[in-house]
Amino acid sequence: MAGGVDVILQVLIWGLYAGCIYILLATGLNLIFGVMKVVNFAHGELLMLGAYITFTFYAVSGFNPYVLLAASVPTLILAGVVIERLCFRPILGTGKLNEIFISIGLIYIIQNAAALIWTDEWRIIHSPFEKITISIFGVNMPLDYLIIIITTILILVILYLFLRKTRLGKAMRATSQNRKGAMLMGINVERMDMLSFGIGAGLAGAAGTLWVVSGQVFNPYMGSIPAIKAFAIVIIGGLGSIPGAIIGGLIYGIAENFAIFTLGGAWKDAVSFIILILVLIIRPTGIFGESAE
Amino acid sequence: MIDMNTTLGIASKKIRIYGVISLLILAFILPLILGMNLYILTILILMVIFIIYASSWNFLTYTGQGSLGHAAFFGLGGYASALVASASGVSPYITMLIGGGAAALVGLFIGAICVRLKEWFLAMVTFGFAIIIQTLMVSQFVDITGGWDGIAAPRLISSSVPNYLLIEYYSILVIAIIVIIIFWLILKSPVGLAFAAIRENEMEARAAGIDPVRYRLFAFLVSAYFSGVAGALEIHHLGYITPEIFGVDISFWPIIYSISGGLGTLAGPIVGTIVITVLWDGLQALGLTYARFIIIGLLLVLIIIFLPRGLISLPDRIRISLEKRRKTP
Repeated sequence: MAGGVDVILQVLIWGLYAGCIYILLATGLNLIFGVMKVVNFAHGELLMLGAYITFTFYAVSGFNPYVLLAASVPTLILAGVVIERLCFRPILGTGKLNEIFISIGLIYIIQNAAALIWTDEWRIIHSPFEKITISIFGVNMPLDYLIIIITTILILVILYLFLRKTRLGKAMRATSQNRKGAMLMGINVERMDMLSFGIGAGLAGAAGTLWVVSGQVFNPYMGSIPAIKAFAIVIIGGLGSIPGAIIGGLIYGIAENFAIFTLGGAWKDAVSFIILILVLIIRPTGIFGESAE
Repeated sequence: MIDMNTTLGIASKKIRIYGVISLLILAFILPLILGMNLYILTILILMVIFIIYASSWNFLTYTGQGSLGHAAFFGLGGYASALVASASGVSPYITMLIGGGAAALVGLFIGAICVRLKEWFLAMVTFGFAIIIQTLMVSQFVDITGGWDGIAAPRLISSSVPNYLLIEYYSILVIAIIVIIIFWLILKSPVGLAFAAIRENEMEARAAGIDPVRYRLFAFLVSAYFSGVAGALEIHHLGYITPEIFGVDISFWPIIYSISGGLGTLAGPIVGTIVITVLWDGLQALGLTYARFIIIGLLLVLIIIFLPRGLISLPDRIRISLEKRRKTP
């Protein structure tokens, strides 16, 4: 019986760690959706870029990869701003299918640009803490997992403070609550679009760095599956709801790891959609979502 | 509100008729001009198959729906047809109808879940079904599907027949023409008007006594059926089928073809498939591998931003801008 509890705890911790990366992706997506009412389907490609930027800086500088969050996040913020300005702003308000289709174009561009620069072979880097495990509640857990969980919490706290306490953050929230009203209050909503897209992309970049330091392999095409899971989480948690994204991410990470444990690895990707479809059958607007329109 | 011309494609009737006739003549004589080049014939065959597939995908957009997971239907049609054809020995030209039926059956199930969903939800769920079906194929049904290795599929025409590729090309061309005529007949019937009403304003359509759920389901069914037929044709042409057929690329190609040609028009997917195929294989001939994906991606983004009605609206665009220039000397 004690063994059973151990296994459950172990799976729970894996799920918690997997959930962190999903939470960062889903929170970014939700931030963008909240402000712009746009879903960026190419979000996983930003995660992949974050991973490669970390990889490149690591190869060049040899810094502790966690420090490289300071490289991947700003680069991705910049990339996000450029993508918003060039691709999403021109089609804003021209129909929701267009956003999905333009993302497909972006996916092809970013994936294959990465393949041109870094080739398409699988890469891996090793965290300096790779071999250290710590014991919590009698369960062994790699130190990296703990750092990743703490880093994610820190990032979310900073994001929370930014949105609640700063002028800019308040302006962003105002835009997401009522775009026209915000405009009348003198808020430059287009700047808010750029900013939210930048921050969303930056969070994806952070997720990319954490993906790399946890010792997972990556190649230019690795972004789609985590991104799709993040969408599933966003839909489960409710479009535009950041607390929903966090809770959804945790539930999802844990559910996925239990599914792998009980059904086998082949089901890893399919489980997310089964959960998603079940949720949508019961509640077409997501668990925490408000009404659709 | 509903402009029949834009529904059917190119604005000017004259251009439309000339376009159709010249395209048909070109399609029939092209293999004769280019000679019996096997490489080019293979490209042409796949192109025509993808015209069927892209047109089927595009059929969904008439009701305002979209799908990111049509590979599910393409692949199911392929598997069902391959299994039936190998077990019974019946010609793939017959079993492809069964393949379409299998795809339509699953399409009905997926459609029933999807009709209430919109936009991103619909996109995600359709995408998800392609992955779920792929997973089922390589896990639960591994005994009949051969898992990741796939299974052999009987050829459309045995390669021992002289000029078998040419026969395949012409037969698939005829099938494509029949499919497009079916779509045309549906769209110009009252059903097509109901589609347009639902797409433009669902509430008004409902008020006019049109049941959106029924029509959406019907569009899903038809779209899934012919996607399945296209899938069956492809795998019987290749001679094998693997679960790769459920991949993201197979789901995305018809979208790229339809958008670049012109969404929600009969001519759009046809023009788009031809232009993108020529571009794609041309770039491959130039030795570009990753760069051609980037170019296609850029093209897609540029078309969505600057030419939202696709390449088929280009002649009208040019004509209008020429007329404007003439008026303001």
